[in-house]
Amino acid sequence: MLVADVAGRYTDLVTTVFSSTIAMKVWFATAAAALGLVQVTTAARIYGRLHFLPERGPAIARVHRWSGRIAFLCTLPVFFHCVTMLGFQTPDARVAIHSLLGTFFYGVFVAKVLVVRDHSLPGWALPTVGLTLASMLLLLWLTSSFWYFTTVGFDF
Amino acid sequence: MGRGWRPILAGGAVVVGTFVLAKATVFAPSTSSTSTLTGDTASGKKVFAENCSGCHGDGGQGGGVGPTLAGSGLDAATVSAVVEHGRGVMPPAIVAGQEQADVVAYVVSIATSSQ
Repeated sequence: MLVADVAGRYTDLVTTVFSSTIAMKVWFATAAAALGLVQVTTAARIYGRLHFLPERGPAIARVHRWSGRIAFLCTLPVFFHCVTMLGFQTPDARVAIHSLLGTFFYGVFVAKVLVVRDHSLPGWALPTVGLTLASMLLLLWLTSSFWYFTTVGFDF
Repeated sequence: MGRGWRPILAGGAVVVGTFVLAKATVFAPSTSSTSTLTGDTASGKKVFAENCSGCHGDGGQGGGVGPTLAGSGLDAATVSAVVEHGRGVMPPAIVAGQEQADVVAYVVSIATSSQ
């Protein structure tokens, strides 16, 4: 497939389900943000907070792991469209902030995955990088999906 | 160098890689890929209703965050450039390929028909 065909074919594929590529990104990003909330909530429970939730244990850990995996998968179509088709742009403050956060997002994600696996690091490292990642996801959602919902509408 | 630097170095490498990829925009739709396509106004009307009317209003009559297109006198080259590269809050490449050619034909038809 020619590189020049990718954008057209990608758009054709996406619009078999969604009204537009932008709508697709909005809803995938919203799903990722919602799962990010699950991540923060379950992580807080794992760290002994939020006592109204079920007891700490394998179930909470499993929910944490799978919500993270699914959230990551939800970000991939967004990444593909934003990074390979739209690129880094700074036409206004919202898009500039979104571009900057998007550029750093997967770097922080990789750092978080490595921190999880490295038990020699201090205890504050994982919650710090995890909260940083969750905050970035929230800000990315606010500068994209939330903007879309409040200025364009709840198109699917 | 301690193991503690590994997440920072790996994360930094991914940030640089993402930035390079974003600047390259390897799959950005190119002008040459669509300039040879012939747009169909009827199909373009459908594409417009699905992708553009949320901001430009039904039939480009305005009412959303985007400018009124009906009667604006825009030409094909201008419309095509804005669809491809975006302008202001409008993101680039909302549509591409044949859909882009169709919607450009439709926008030009409403931009010139009411003058």
